[in-house]
Amino acid sequence: MEENKKLICSRCCVDFKMYKANFSYLDHSFNTEVMRCPSCGQVYIPEDLAKGKMMQVEVSIEDK
Amino acid sequence: MEKIRTTYSICPKCGKQISAEILIKDDGVYLDKGCPEHGNYSVLIWKNKRDILSWYGDTEPAVTLKNDLCPEYCAKNGLCPEHKSSTCCTLLEVTERCNLNCRFCFADKKNGPDITLEKIKEEISSFVIPRKTLVQLSGGEPTLRDDLPEIIRAAGELGCKYVQLNSNGIRLAEDDNYVKNIAEAGLSFVFMQFDGTDDEVYLKLRGRKMLAIKEKAIENCAKHGLGVTLVPTIVPGINSMQIGEILRYGIMRSPAVRGVHFQPVGHLGRIPSIPENQSRFTLDELMSEIEDQTGGLIRAENLQPAQSDHPLCGFHGDFIVTKNRKLYPLTVKRSDASACCCGIDDLATRKREFIGRRWKRAEASPCCQETSSEDMSDMDSFLSRVTLNGFTVTSMAFQDAGNIDIERLQMCRLHVAKEGKLIPFCVNYLTLWADG
Repeated sequence: MEENKKLICSRCCVDFKMYKANFSYLDHSFNTEVMRCPSCGQVYIPEDLAKGKMMQVEVSIEDK
Repeated sequence: MEKIRTTYSICPKCGKQISAEILIKDDGVYLDKGCPEHGNYSVLIWKNKRDILSWYGDTEPAVTLKNDLCPEYCAKNGLCPEHKSSTCCTLLEVTERCNLNCRFCFADKKNGPDITLEKIKEEISSFVIPRKTLVQLSGGEPTLRDDLPEIIRAAGELGCKYVQLNSNGIRLAEDDNYVKNIAEAGLSFVFMQFDGTDDEVYLKLRGRKMLAIKEKAIENCAKHGLGVTLVPTIVPGINSMQIGEILRYGIMRSPAVRGVHFQPVGHLGRIPSIPENQSRFTLDELMSEIEDQTGGLIRAENLQPAQSDHPLCGFHGDFIVTKNRKLYPLTVKRSDASACCCGIDDLATRKREFIGRRWKRAEASPCCQETSSEDMSDMDSFLSRVTLNGFTVTSMAFQDAGNIDIERLQMCRLHVAKEGKLIPFCVNYLTLWADG
């Protein structure tokens, strides 16, 4: 996704807004801001977040 | 008395492979075995401070061995076809010289001439897997070599991803320029012998006062960005009461100190006498003492067997040191552990990366800037804290001629490189009791 590009929910046709979302992995919960549809709650996880911070967090809490 | 497992061991006197049983008795768990020539042995391996069956988990028992010469074969020829685990860490002895004469020493070197740099390069080339290998430079005392920076540089150039130094810390304390040189050569981290927080312990175990040396070595390593993991050899009655103090010492020095790696005394290499059951310090006892002596700062439930090793070979606990010097635990027992594969699914690589990630100090990068927040649920704060102030509490329980269990041996991932062969650590340094 290009920076600052507006996202519109494919279901509700309303603008996505930044929202603090919770993620759980291996008994730990984390939050970070992602784009979310204010109407249906669908969130958009950009690739750089999935392969960046989220991946780092996952690896950090995995066992030896 | 309950038999929970059958396995194989060796006769501690002649070294021949014999069958063995693991038995739960009233006062502990024992490995029982008998040699037709030298008699029966019952060796304490667990003190019932924690449920051993739960600790074993779903680890497969040893099946019938096809190689009746294991581990004798492995000592001479390297890993046999029945070895189940690939290498995580490769130990390479770079010198037989040492500047200490310790009561216990797994290596028990004889002050022979140093292996040449060229030979070291050949040896590394024989085992290196580019961008994967973790090599431990060991000895003797590796820092007695003036060309250690060249060795470290060569290891990197040959493809080793991580280069670890096993050291007693003396030269690291006395020669700051040397520390600078090994850091610049690409050393990843230091594994430093650290037996206690007062000099009495060092006088008994190492023959000299050493606490100030350890302090200075940590300071010098910190100055040059080298993480230090403290490595206590725990000997009952000598420093087993300092476990909590050692942990507090390390936690207070985070991030310079990356963790504590406990080694319950192993009766291999140079040993003062044949070990009696009462001289053994078991893994469950260590976990129990960690919880008791830290007043619950570290709870036993946050110490778990590593998925990549045999459970009786050690444990690990992963933590974050908070600003008020408490520990935020990351390791818990999980029912879904086997589903945990989002990161790395090869177990040797997973263990190696765990070690590298935790024991190496973070370099300056946007992901690990110091943050004032301690909200561990915030992804950015968590990543910053775990990278900068991650702290591990780990242990490795070495095996000796008494308690050696071939089921464990088959899963060993710490291998000694010797003349192009890889030999499981506990086999390489095995000391038989023939002269006892």
